[in-house]
Amino acid sequence: MKKLELIKIVITVLLCSLLVVPIILSNHSWPTHARNYLLVNAQSDTGATNTVSAIYLGYRAMDTLGETLVLLVSVTGTMAILVKLGKEQTDEETTSFSLTPEKRPTNRLRTHLLETVASKLGPIVLLFGFYVMLYGHISPGGGFQGGVIVASAIVFLALGTEVKSKLTSTFVLSRIESLSFLLLILASISGVFFESGFFGNPIKSASSLSANFIILLNIIIGLKVGTSIAVMCIAMMGGSHDH
Amino acid sequence: MNILLLSLILALGVYALLAKDLLHSVIALSAISMLSALLFTILRAPDVAITEAAVGAGVSTVIFVWAIRHTQRRDKEEP
Repeated sequence: MKKLELIKIVITVLLCSLLVVPIILSNHSWPTHARNYLLVNAQSDTGATNTVSAIYLGYRAMDTLGETLVLLVSVTGTMAILVKLGKEQTDEETTSFSLTPEKRPTNRLRTHLLETVASKLGPIVLLFGFYVMLYGHISPGGGFQGGVIVASAIVFLALGTEVKSKLTSTFVLSRIESLSFLLLILASISGVFFESGFFGNPIKSASSLSANFIILLNIIIGLKVGTSIAVMCIAMMGGSHDH
Repeated sequence: MNILLLSLILALGVYALLAKDLLHSVIALSAISMLSALLFTILRAPDVAITEAAVGAGVSTVIFVWAIRHTQRRDKEEP
C-alpha cells in the first residue's frame, strides 16, 4: 500500500517535470526584436507608462475585446445553469452561505469570525481594486486585475453584511455588466468615426492626458470583469435568484 | 530562492493530486497560487502576480469550494 503510494508520487513528479524539461534544456535565445521596439515606442504610441497596459489596450485591444466576449459567454452559460438549478432545488437556501439572519443558526459554516473579517475587509479591498483599475496605465495592474479584486470585494461584502444592499444583488450587478459591455463596443467603434480606425483613440488630441483612452477602457473592462465574476460567485453561493 | 519556491509548488501540486480530502486539495491549490504570485513578483512580473493572487487564491477557491459542497468531499476508501 505504502509502496504503491510512493510509486504514484514518483510518476506524478516525473510527468509534471516532463512539461518543463523542454524549457530548461533549450538553447534558443529569447526573441528581442519586439521587446526593443516596445521599449522605445510604447509610451509615445499609446501614452501608457505601463508597457503591459500599452500592449493589451493599445496595440492589441482587439484581443481584449475577444477575451471580454469569452467572459460574457461563460457567465451567461453559468447563470443559465444556476438559475435552472435554483428552481429545481428549493432546499438550496437552507445550506447556503448568504442567508437571511433568522435562518443563520442552521448554517455552521457561516461564523461570526467570517462575518466580522469579511465586512471590515470588504470596503478596503474594494478601494484597492478601484485603485488598481484606475492607475493601470502607470502602475502594475489594469482593468482585468482590478476587476477581479473588485469582484472579491463584492463577495466579501455579500458574506459579511447582514442587510441586503444594491451592490450585492445579482439583478443590479448583471445590469452593470451588460451596460459596460455595450459601452466597450461603443468605445471600440467610436474610433471609426474619428478617422483613427477600430479601437483607435478618438480623443487623443482633445486632452492633455495622453493615456485617456486607455484609462477609459480600463474602467469599462474593470466594471465588466468585476461585476460578471461577482455575479457568478454570488449566484453560486446561493444568493438571490430573483431576476 | 526560485528553486525553493518551485519545489514547494511541485510538492503542493503532488499533495493536491493525492489528497483524499478534496478540501485539503483546494487549500493546497490556493497556496500554490500564493507561492506563484511571490515567484512572479521576484521575477519582476507584478501584473501577472496581481492576477494570479486575485484569480487563483480568491475567485477559483470560492468556485472550487462551491463545487465540493455540491458533490462529495472525500474520496471513497479503496477496498
